[in-house]
Amino acid sequence: MMHKTTKLWLGKLGVGIGFVFHSFGLLAQEINEIKPTLAVTKITKNSKDGLLPVSDVGQQNTRITGRVLDSAGEPLGGVGVHLKGTSTSTVTNVDGNFVMDSPQRNGILVFTSVGFLSREFPFSSDQRVVNVTLQPDMSTIDEVVVVGYGTQKKTNLTGAVASVTFDEKLTSRSISNVSTALNGLLPGLAVNQSSGMAGNNSSTLMIRGLGTLASGAAGPLIVVDGMPDVDINRLNMQDIENVSVLKDATAASVYGSRAANGVILITTRSGAGKKPSITFSSNLAMQRPTNGIGFMADYPRSLMVHRNAQAMSASANAATYRYGTIEQWMALGMIDPIRYANTDWFDVTMRDAVQQNYNLSASGGNDVSNFFISAGIMDERGLQIGNDFARYNARINYDYKIRKNISIGARVTGNWSNYTFGFNEGFTGGSSGNAYDLRFAVAGVTPYDPFTGFYGGRSAYGEHTLVANPLALYDHLSSKRNQKQLNSIFHLEWEPLAGLKTRVDYSLNYSDQFTVNANKAVEAYDFQNEAFTGRWILGPNVGISNDDLNSYKTMASGRISYDKVFAENHQFSALAVYSEEFWHSRILGGSRLNRIHPSLTELDAASVDGQTNTGSSSREGLRSVIGRLNYAAFNKYLVELNARYDGSSRFYKGHQWGFFPSASVGWRFTEENFLSTIKDWGISSGKLRASYGGLGNNRITNSLYEQREVLTSFNYILGGSAYSGFSNNRMINQAFSWEKVNVLNFGLDLVMLNNRLSAEFDYYERKTAGMADALDISMLISGMYTAPRHNIGEMSNRGIEGNFTWSDNKNGFQYRINLNASYNRNKLEKWGQLLLRGTRFIDMPINFVYGYEDMGIAQNWQQVYDATPQGIVPGDIIRLDLNGDGRITDEDRKADPHTQTNMPHTNFALNSSFSYKGFDLNIQLQGAAGRKDYWLSNYNELSIGERYAASWDHWNNPWSVDNRDGIWPRLNSTAGGNRTQTTFWLDNLSYLRLRNVQVGYNLPEGILRKVNINNLRIFVSGENLHTFTSYRGIDPESTASMNDVYPLLKSFSLGLNINL
Amino acid sequence: MKKINKFIVSVFAGSILLSMSACVKDLLDQQATTELDNNAYWQTEADAVGGAMAMYNNIKNVFHKDYFFDGHGDYVRVRAVSSISSLGTPSNGGAYWTGSTSGHYYPEGYGSSFDNMFRFLYGGVNRANYVIDNVTNMLPRLPASKENLEGIIGEAKLMRALVYFRLITMWGDVPYIDKIVVNNDDVISIPRTPIEEVKNHILADLDYAFEKLPASRSADQKERVTKAAALALRGKVNLYWGSWNKNGWPELDTFTPDAAKADQAFRDATEDFRKVINDYGLTLFRGGAPGEIDDLGKAETLPNYFHLFLPTSNANNETIIGFTHGGQGSGVSDKLMRDIGPRETESSEVNVSPNYWLADRYQSTTTGDFLPPMEQLSDRTQDAKYAPDAATRPNSALNPQTYVGRDYRMKSTILWNGEVIQRLAGLQAEGLIPYHHGKQGVNNGVRFIDYNSGTNSGYLFRKFVRNYAGQGREEGNMTWPVIRLADVYLMFAEASNEAFGPTPEAVTLVNKVRARGNLPGLKPEKFANRDLFFDAIEQERIVELVLEGHRAFDIRRWRKIEEIWGPPNGSGKFTTNTWGNNVTVYFQNKNERAYQQCYIFKIPQSEMDRNPNLRQNTPYL
Repeated sequence: MMHKTTKLWLGKLGVGIGFVFHSFGLLAQEINEIKPTLAVTKITKNSKDGLLPVSDVGQQNTRITGRVLDSAGEPLGGVGVHLKGTSTSTVTNVDGNFVMDSPQRNGILVFTSVGFLSREFPFSSDQRVVNVTLQPDMSTIDEVVVVGYGTQKKTNLTGAVASVTFDEKLTSRSISNVSTALNGLLPGLAVNQSSGMAGNNSSTLMIRGLGTLASGAAGPLIVVDGMPDVDINRLNMQDIENVSVLKDATAASVYGSRAANGVILITTRSGAGKKPSITFSSNLAMQRPTNGIGFMADYPRSLMVHRNAQAMSASANAATYRYGTIEQWMALGMIDPIRYANTDWFDVTMRDAVQQNYNLSASGGNDVSNFFISAGIMDERGLQIGNDFARYNARINYDYKIRKNISIGARVTGNWSNYTFGFNEGFTGGSSGNAYDLRFAVAGVTPYDPFTGFYGGRSAYGEHTLVANPLALYDHLSSKRNQKQLNSIFHLEWEPLAGLKTRVDYSLNYSDQFTVNANKAVEAYDFQNEAFTGRWILGPNVGISNDDLNSYKTMASGRISYDKVFAENHQFSALAVYSEEFWHSRILGGSRLNRIHPSLTELDAASVDGQTNTGSSSREGLRSVIGRLNYAAFNKYLVELNARYDGSSRFYKGHQWGFFPSASVGWRFTEENFLSTIKDWGISSGKLRASYGGLGNNRITNSLYEQREVLTSFNYILGGSAYSGFSNNRMINQAFSWEKVNVLNFGLDLVMLNNRLSAEFDYYERKTAGMADALDISMLISGMYTAPRHNIGEMSNRGIEGNFTWSDNKNGFQYRINLNASYNRNKLEKWGQLLLRGTRFIDMPINFVYGYEDMGIAQNWQQVYDATPQGIVPGDIIRLDLNGDGRITDEDRKADPHTQTNMPHTNFALNSSFSYKGFDLNIQLQGAAGRKDYWLSNYNELSIGERYAASWDHWNNPWSVDNRDGIWPRLNSTAGGNRTQTTFWLDNLSYLRLRNVQVGYNLPEGILRKVNINNLRIFVSGENLHTFTSYRGIDPESTASMNDVYPLLKSFSLGLNINL
Repeated sequence: MKKINKFIVSVFAGSILLSMSACVKDLLDQQATTELDNNAYWQTEADAVGGAMAMYNNIKNVFHKDYFFDGHGDYVRVRAVSSISSLGTPSNGGAYWTGSTSGHYYPEGYGSSFDNMFRFLYGGVNRANYVIDNVTNMLPRLPASKENLEGIIGEAKLMRALVYFRLITMWGDVPYIDKIVVNNDDVISIPRTPIEEVKNHILADLDYAFEKLPASRSADQKERVTKAAALALRGKVNLYWGSWNKNGWPELDTFTPDAAKADQAFRDATEDFRKVINDYGLTLFRGGAPGEIDDLGKAETLPNYFHLFLPTSNANNETIIGFTHGGQGSGVSDKLMRDIGPRETESSEVNVSPNYWLADRYQSTTTGDFLPPMEQLSDRTQDAKYAPDAATRPNSALNPQTYVGRDYRMKSTILWNGEVIQRLAGLQAEGLIPYHHGKQGVNNGVRFIDYNSGTNSGYLFRKFVRNYAGQGREEGNMTWPVIRLADVYLMFAEASNEAFGPTPEAVTLVNKVRARGNLPGLKPEKFANRDLFFDAIEQERIVELVLEGHRAFDIRRWRKIEEIWGPPNGSGKFTTNTWGNNVTVYFQNKNERAYQQCYIFKIPQSEMDRNPNLRQNTPYL
């Protein structure tokens, strides 16, 4: 299924542009008159009829001029222009211009062109300039879709492919990476962004649900211009022409072993068939957080929270913080902010983020060669202080026909980035060990005193020494990562016979990532006692570390393809590919302590004592043989067969090869004569598709060498020195091999209502087999051997996808509305060994919701007595004794077979665009439903002790005898189920997000022509403007730990696109 | 034109061939880059030695924290096991990890918590089998190295015996595996082998080891086992086998005690120990001399017994089986300091501390007998036994003078009020600082040992805590003693006492052990009969071997839990402290099952679930 919807949308806008021209008729006329020499007029007569003699331009003739554009606003050459009722006709030149001398003063011109709907247009003596836009004929157009190792006619496509063309409206958005840009554009592709951190804000991509349990392997294969394994997030969005998502086995099986979780094909721009031009675009966005934690910038009040918490279990005179302290702080906080701080840490550590994009490109082409070159800068100033990212991209795409039947080409692109950050997740999150920067960021810490130059630490009597000073941290933590990549692919293609093509491709991808960590020491100062607190926020001997990750990947492939039409109605094409891929990576790292001066950040500027180093390399190989056969009969009956045979070095010899075949059929039922009535119902084109096949995944090995029989080194000390020895630590299951996915897909494509509505439906069943798990081995051997892994699990994903696009053009007002939605059900079908009670269970989705039911907060002792005993007091959550055994045990948890905690089952988006007279408006709404998770993070901790920062929720929400309506359980309570996963904390993470609103204006072409500009558009755009959700945490889209709090960004941008 | 075409065709075909003919050699056969390929090993004699080293490294991990086991006895308290990683890696103490930070090393309620120990002991079995089988395979290939290779097989068999011995002392009948396991299916349904059969396998391994091992080794290989080790272990196995047959093991319902077997076992043990003592020139550390002792409140000079448990004495002639550690940066360090030392020694944690009763066990250097029990009085007004003169009253546990003239091993082993320890911080020695129960940090200008919540008895351990700087709390290089000569002396005395009653030979050996505490020889009434002599031997085992992981195993084979803690369903017994307070009660209102669950351990439940042919020990049914 092919969605050229975006192209269509663009087309509609093209019509809009045409209309603008039309409206500025005079200007348009001028244009035509300016360039009479360009207009290769050709007046012909219908010589067969021979009715009219060729005549010179006579007085009786009316000269009609005009221009024909396609829906994208590109000039159409070769369009037949015919004067209705006569034999007078002409064709347009390459610029789309035509001139006709009509014998009539009034009449109707008929424009026809293959692949376009013919159009009639009246002219009169008042209107002798006829500018026309032709709409593509969706039913006949030979639209070409990028598929693996080639292209296919859209009409002949039998696999499930979704596709989007990157146009100006998309690339104008202030999005820093391509993965995030894909959100909401393609049905079946789930996109989740978890952080707004500059340089770390890419999205995870998942096609048709979770297809594997292997960590890090659930994402699709990214193929850019035939190069697999390109980092999608380092592409320059402006370079992209088109993105196709291959979802079913037929579409993806030419990438067989690597395509188990779908394939994303990205094609970059080329200059083919374009007039040379230069494009410049820029975009400047101001960004703000979408959400944040409501910490109180009110220390006395937060100390009261602590007191309240302590009052739950200790007598008043045992409180850590004394009333005197609190009252003193309350009073003096107003006059002495250095000694009595009330810090708003979000305010101190965040700033307005700024994102800038600048891009310059040139492209052009002729019969022999074409080129596209571009350079771009993307610069992000992060929301958090000390977090910046800048990326520079450059690209050259070049093709040349060295002989009539031999062509060569290259795609060479490089990128470079500089990334500055403190913690990996920005603000420390769930995965960071010990530096709870925000959790312990109490308001009573002075961030920084410029007078003394000290960073504050604890100062209140009783406050914990280990309170955090996030400003000190972010000012002194410093990691700088420089990343460079070069991706290149070269090809040589030879067509010895018509239809027979051979081609070799060689690609080389190179990547280097160098990280320098050079934190600076900082000590916390107590401004009240005017002494250091003894707390080194970053220790006095902080060192320096360098880590280099260097890798290259090569691919060599040769292919032969043959296309042939037999007996007019039988189209055959065959393809065979042989390919080898090789990966090599190397890491090298070193660290030292005790730098000779904090300003020096190189290894050699530190003491050699205690230096460490690491180094390693790894290699992987993949060998593949690929075949494809297409057959189309009478343009109605379509068959496609694919197979790929892959050998991977990850597996044990003899179990390295996997075979992944697929087959599909298609039926264009609207071409059947006996169904011709369908056309009368307004369905101009319809196709049924079915496919079935297998795909593979070799990324289920835990490491590249998991299946190698190797020994582990163990030292033993003899006579005070180490004696090296080896032993076996690993039991190998030689048969451990590919994880396989079988996909069944049914699809229906319709084009209806005079091409205004297109609809696509897909139903799929994806069955993953051979999922890996460590064998549950006996304790008699597990003390020596790590368990071998087996292919033992089966999982299914079933779902439906729909994509509906309505586009129309009324009086120059064009609009396009696209609604896409997908629904996926995940289920674990089989597991070859015992599964204990947990969130992985047979007949349940992975990570299903599994927790206690709550009966609300106990208001009084009577309710406590009435409930099953569970060690609670009034103010605690009462858990339901689900199995009624009089105890609360983990058997009382209830499973929800319909909801997963880490992914929604439904994704949907509404993309709409409107244009009128040069103005355009784009709105994207995107949402997800069917995900629930327990909102339990470090920041709604109830047991709030010393040094814990308190939020306004802690002030307002906890239940107490004075606040019986409190919506949280009482403070300082870990008793019972207050902090366990109960329905009390279960939040629905469904959301609807106003993701983009963009308003643009194209300056009239006439004006632009005068300054030799083809096109100039200015726009304002807003991202993530509003989110509707009932989730109480930071962001419902995020799938990261709830302790990660770097929010997504809301941005407002202003931009400009110029085409010269 | 044709020529050009031909050229192109050949170039083209060539390039396709090029891409086909593997740009990368052995594309699908990528060797691991940081791990040694299997095929490259087990070629030379050096490989066999390396294999044995890896085995020692791994088997070390199931013995090197045996001091935690003392918590199951009555003289040591283990409050926490924070030095253990719960990640399950044996080198971080995973074998000793019980799934809980505390409690499972208390005197009661631990029997079902040693799944990891079970697992990693079998890991040790497999490591030994791995060496035995691989080196056996080398024998025909390397005839010239036969003797050395058989010696290595002997080492591995000794290690296998050591591990199986630990297994049967804890679980009774255990599955017996004596070859490399290549597939889970090979072991997933094997039943438990009766204890006697396992014991016989152990003895057979030790017979082989005794025959093939060298009698001695060069100084740089000293830590590898020798004939004496095989004999010492064989004697110990016999001694335990005798104990079980004599005293019974009712919780192991497949086992029937047999007095005749007991007698034979004690005789065999006596023989083995005698050979160890006489045939290999082994001597007690520093000739068994007590060494010098400093005055109260000083620790410049400490007795020899203290030095025996420092890494500086690793090269002693007393350790018969020991496991080495590497110290700083080696990756194979001991964590004795972290567990035993106080806060003042590199921020250690007092996870292990003495019980109060240990102090009264140290006898008078004058009389050689017990002193009157100390008076437990408190210098704190809030305590019931408050006495203003608690710190000065004669025989008060708080009065340092009370400790004068006792067994030198007391000052070497524990700290009481006023005793000093070398403060170590940041790998620097910062002077001697005193201990005072309940006082922490700086008091009136004097810095006391901080962080004493680890002890609840009023004492800390000095044994095993280094008194010199340079290593962190987890950077020790102590050779952990598993069997040392003093233990062999006492085991000889015990075995021969059981077989023949008190003999002068045995008394002499016990007196040698006592002499290192500067105690006079046993008075005749102490070995007047078999039972009295047994008590004297037990007393020596308590003070000599404290913190070395023997006591709990002794209590079980002697069936002494009831004697120590009172009968089932009784009031149990409180541990106490120097202030006279009751601290923790154990075995209060505990039924017989609770006692049974201390005498034998639980077969891991998950293994029961996997293997239908395993039978659980009765107290856990």
